[in-house]
Amino acid sequence: MARILFDNVTKYYGSVKAVDRLNLEIVDKEFLVLLGPSGCGKTTTLNMIAGLEELSEGDIYFDEQVVNFMPPHIRDVAMVFQSYALYPHKNVFDNIAFGLKMRKYDGAEIDKRVRDAAARLHIEHLLDRLPSQLSGGQRQRVALGRAMVRQPSVFLMDEPLSNLDAALRISMRAEIKQLHHSMETTFVYVTHDQAEALTLADRIVVMQEGVVQQIGTPDEIYEKPENLFVASFLGNPPINLLEGELAAEGGKMVFQKGGFRMHFPEDMTIKLQAHTGRAVTLGIRPEDVNEQGAAMPGSAVSGTVDTVLPMGSEQYLSMTIEGTEVFFRLGKEHKHKDGDSVSLEVNRNRLHVFDKETRRSLLWG
Amino acid sequence: MSAQSTLFSERTEKWRFKSRFSERTRNAVIFVSSLILLVYVLAPVGWLLSSSFQSEAEIVSVPPHWIPHEPTLENFDAIFFQEFEEVTYDTRRKVDPAAGGYIPSTAKDLMPSMWNSFIVSLSVVILNLLVGIPAAYAMAKIRFWGRQATVYTILTTRVIPDIALVVPFFLVIKNLGLLDHVLSLIITYLAVTIPFTVFILVSYFESLPDELDKAARVDGCSRFQTMTQVFLPLALPSIVAVMLFAFLTSWNEFLLALMFTQTIASQTLPIVVASFTSDFTISFSFINAAGVVAIIPPVILALFFERYIVSGLTAGAVKG
Amino acid sequence: MPANMKNLRYKLARRFNYEARSAGLFILPVMSVLAVVAVFPIIYSLYTSFFSLKLTRPHRVPFVGFDNYVKVLGDELFWESVLRTVSFTLISVTAILILALFIALLLNETFRGRRFISAIILIPWAIPTVANGLLWKWIYDSGYGALNGLLMQLGLIDKYVTWLGDPEKTIPLISNAFVWKEVPLAAILILVTMKSIPADLYRAARVDGANLLQRFVHITLPSLKPGFMLVMIYETMMAIRHFDLFFLLTEGGPADASHVISWQIYVETFRNLSFGTGSAMSYILAIVTFALAFAIIRTLGRKI
Repeated sequence: MARILFDNVTKYYGSVKAVDRLNLEIVDKEFLVLLGPSGCGKTTTLNMIAGLEELSEGDIYFDEQVVNFMPPHIRDVAMVFQSYALYPHKNVFDNIAFGLKMRKYDGAEIDKRVRDAAARLHIEHLLDRLPSQLSGGQRQRVALGRAMVRQPSVFLMDEPLSNLDAALRISMRAEIKQLHHSMETTFVYVTHDQAEALTLADRIVVMQEGVVQQIGTPDEIYEKPENLFVASFLGNPPINLLEGELAAEGGKMVFQKGGFRMHFPEDMTIKLQAHTGRAVTLGIRPEDVNEQGAAMPGSAVSGTVDTVLPMGSEQYLSMTIEGTEVFFRLGKEHKHKDGDSVSLEVNRNRLHVFDKETRRSLLWG
Repeated sequence: MSAQSTLFSERTEKWRFKSRFSERTRNAVIFVSSLILLVYVLAPVGWLLSSSFQSEAEIVSVPPHWIPHEPTLENFDAIFFQEFEEVTYDTRRKVDPAAGGYIPSTAKDLMPSMWNSFIVSLSVVILNLLVGIPAAYAMAKIRFWGRQATVYTILTTRVIPDIALVVPFFLVIKNLGLLDHVLSLIITYLAVTIPFTVFILVSYFESLPDELDKAARVDGCSRFQTMTQVFLPLALPSIVAVMLFAFLTSWNEFLLALMFTQTIASQTLPIVVASFTSDFTISFSFINAAGVVAIIPPVILALFFERYIVSGLTAGAVKG
Repeated sequence: MPANMKNLRYKLARRFNYEARSAGLFILPVMSVLAVVAVFPIIYSLYTSFFSLKLTRPHRVPFVGFDNYVKVLGDELFWESVLRTVSFTLISVTAILILALFIALLLNETFRGRRFISAIILIPWAIPTVANGLLWKWIYDSGYGALNGLLMQLGLIDKYVTWLGDPEKTIPLISNAFVWKEVPLAAILILVTMKSIPADLYRAARVDGANLLQRFVHITLPSLKPGFMLVMIYETMMAIRHFDLFFLLTEGGPADASHVISWQIYVETFRNLSFGTGSAMSYILAIVTFALAFAIIRTLGRKI
């Protein structure tokens, strides 16, 4: 299968729109992540690819074929669930083999595939056990194995790592990425964890309340968010937001909030000129500051540190700018204390500007 | 030792004594209650058992002999082997009842009726499963239009008292030519047992995780295969409970059997046993023995499958 | 394809898609069975209740509308049987609830021999109602029964008493036999509810200083409401309609002492052979049962 296409797909639950006019083309062999908070429609979308949910409106195409009413067991997809959904009454081998058995592969082939997958996932020694005898991480692998052996056209994953502890989650992310490379299959992955999305994805689809906010590569989404939601959702700690206006000052565009000023660089000024006087929200990511350069007014953030939060190799400073609390991340070269006076130079090529009302970015999209 | 800690250890001592005391009280209360419960349950049955081993002469003693002084198997002989005894009993019918040895005229029907009961009950169980399991699965796991309504409709069919259904049933069965045929009972018992079966199975199926259903369907199972390969094995406790209920209900049912059966061709055990009491020859010991025979199969089944009843009625805690 | 045709085809495909088809097929057996053996008889007997159908003159079946119902509701005999049914039901259901609660409390504790007892108490539930009837008839027997014998031996009476033959004692005695058989199932239903009460509630209460009685009153009893409701509804329905014991033990006697509604319906339908009024009576009973169940659910709050 070369691609999956969503054509104006809408899904209603009663009167609630879970997915609203979704238009999406999933390219063969890509790793696509559906990202968003709970209730945004990402799992529903995934279920519609699998055939577990029916669409209310629109069409879904696998290659050129409309699959709206095709039941899941005919589609060539495999799925890994958040709670693994292993068959409790079957042992690991039978769990993994089940999909192949249903599709009538012959015994020898099943045996070979299952053992290969088990070896890949390092669970060969568990083949005789029941799911109840396995740890969370082991069950996870069995669930992966069950999907892998089918060698499907599409691999669907619904928050598979949410139930694992932090350390395991990180190592599993790496394994999943490797899996994607070696299997050369389309992966569609659902998560609410933005770090996970940034790590794994070729492309990310950010969704909120059923509506697509932005589709793009991790870099695009992170560096060029098209609206306020996307900017705030990605990045940890979240982007700092200041509400103020745009003004023109001697041929340059400037953001002002009370006494605070930020000058925009040349390329941004061109884009922003048309919006002089508009009420906007300025975004500065916590990591886009430094203490190296000379901090000049108009290109720096100055003030008193409210609290210092040391974090191992870094430190976070919380400050207040014109009444708004902001966080910045610095290295440990200058160790700060509460109450210090600081002046941090802002990387002005990484500024974000959003229209206060429409919340859309004035710079991209 | 400061004053503070002496106080502390004094309280600990008091508490230790109190907890040992209350531990003993608890055990005593449990023991006594269990005893009372056992007596409440077993005494009547025990008396039935004891009476069945007494000869007619002994059974009419005043005060009654709690334990038979001269236990005899003659009542059971009469039930199982009455072909041989019938002649002797028949000729003695003219004699005074207290001398014992009378069996009702329908006595020879006892064993055949047990066979009928068995056939009916088994058929009802099998049909219940065949009809009930798919329905319960669909109502629990498939979101279809009219699902709530279906559940309520099925449960509502049991609000009407059975007596009201007898006449229309009678007409239907008569027109089908099934009067006095075991099939008439099988069909009507199905109607009586299905709602309960569906109710129990739906609750249990609903408690099984939805994601298992999804996983199976993505793995390649049609709805039917999902039901048979994944949900059936997991729902075993409730299925056993349902089988038990259906069997017992069919085995024990009285009113409908009374109405629809006329001869031993279709009469079930309860009907024949009931006929003993209204027969003009009354043999207490024989009736008691018949009662014992009637209760043995269901009791054995219940005791055997006891553990499934509770687990089948509780929504299971099954994790995927 | 023109737009409206595509729409139609779409709608049809949606209606008859795989999910709906499977559901339909799965439900079909149940619904057909019930349609024939439940729905049809129910509707037919409702239909009959509007006619004056007497088997004594089977060829004249005039339509009488609600006359049968009026006749039944105006019949003093009917109301007397209602009264007897009410007293039977009240006595039985109360006894069942109390006994079932105590048994469930006992079985909820862990102690040696609990499995044994759980199994044993199922015996009354498992035995056929016929056997139950015969059993108690024998125990209550005036001449040779165990009840008389026992009381005599314990010195509580000095001569044998008529039990079932005494109109005053009939209902309680039949009720006793009914309760004895119904308690096990009721106890299990309550036990099942009891087991789902989270242990944390009790732990929190103990930390708060509640003693055994307080924990029982403030945690156990309220949490058991759904179980009580289920048992109450179920057993009330069973008691109101119960027929077998009345047939086996007393046949409505002595002197109509145990002439309850179900017996009245039986007599009217099968002895007086008046199917019309018999059906009307059955429907009144059905409506009352339904209303009662509804009322219980409402007053006790939650749905099952």
